[in-house]
Amino acid sequence: MASTPALLFLTGAATGLVGSLLGLGGGVLLVPLLTLALGVPIRTAIAASLMSVIASASASASVNLRRGLVNIRLGLVLEVATSVGGLAGGLASSLLSERALYAAFGVVMAVMGAAMALRSGTRNVISDLSVDTGRLGGRLQEGAHTFVYRVKRLPLGLFASLVAGAVSGLLGVGGGIVKVPVLNAFCGIPIRVAAATSTFMIGVTAAASAILYYARGDVALPLTAAICIGSLPASLLGARLSDRVHARSLKVLMALVLAAVALQMGVKAL
Amino acid sequence: MNDADRNVALELTFAGGLAVSGAALLLGLVLSQEPLLRLGVLALIATPALATVTLALGLAARRDWLFAAISLWVLLVLASSLTVALRS
Repeated sequence: MASTPALLFLTGAATGLVGSLLGLGGGVLLVPLLTLALGVPIRTAIAASLMSVIASASASASVNLRRGLVNIRLGLVLEVATSVGGLAGGLASSLLSERALYAAFGVVMAVMGAAMALRSGTRNVISDLSVDTGRLGGRLQEGAHTFVYRVKRLPLGLFASLVAGAVSGLLGVGGGIVKVPVLNAFCGIPIRVAAATSTFMIGVTAAASAILYYARGDVALPLTAAICIGSLPASLLGARLSDRVHARSLKVLMALVLAAVALQMGVKAL
Repeated sequence: MNDADRNVALELTFAGGLAVSGAALLLGLVLSQEPLLRLGVLALIATPALATVTLALGLAARRDWLFAAISLWVLLVLASSLTVALRS
């Protein structure tokens, strides 16, 4: 299918909007759209996706920092595991068969989607502001209300970040698709904070891989430019909208995205 | 530098990087100029790296050495990628 700049712009805008709302960066949606719907070669699609993830993450971070949603210390701690996972993913890519990779990823996404759907009514915030949040916990302002949250099961969060890094290196996605559900469903982080913190760091994760794709000549410049120009304003809009969307709606949307990705990965594994 | 000042510095870093990148990508696309497109792509890749430098400086200014060291680790990973890219 011929990919006009306008179509690429709209594709970048749509994936950037959903990506910034959910803290995914949009790569997990963009790669299949580019390869399956627009016929873009996989390496070119992954390179464009990484660039779009950086654009989306950077645009969202500038909005989320102002709103105090980014937990920088938690993001940094998780990024250590993510960067190690990225290296491991790069090394493991030659050892794993593509089918095994898709199957494992599909199963993980299906489990996470079910966990998000089951926990969509559960909040991770504490109304008692005197509670000690620890060094990695924080505060969350929602309208006139202030809440606090504590980080639970940090080793699980680190493991998820390790997997997210590996997935990012292997599949060219930001890794938020693994991090955000685990942080929210199992580590006690409110969905908005999980999404904002993930978005803040996946730009860094994607940049580490993007420079390699650029050096190999995989970045198709006009295609990538059209996608990123669409992604930038849509990501800013998504970051601003996330404040107005109910937390439960965000979780349901995340569960639906996870189910769609799991299905797609399952089909590829067959 | 307190947390609010550090966050403002980070916001400005992201906004500046995106402004340069977005303008170069848009002009490069409209004028079909490959050098501008390359500038836009490289400015975009550099934006998170510059934000990490800003973050490390902000944390060091607060003598938050543990997290400043973690920021440096992240920068080290980015530098490793750049080294591999330059050699390839």
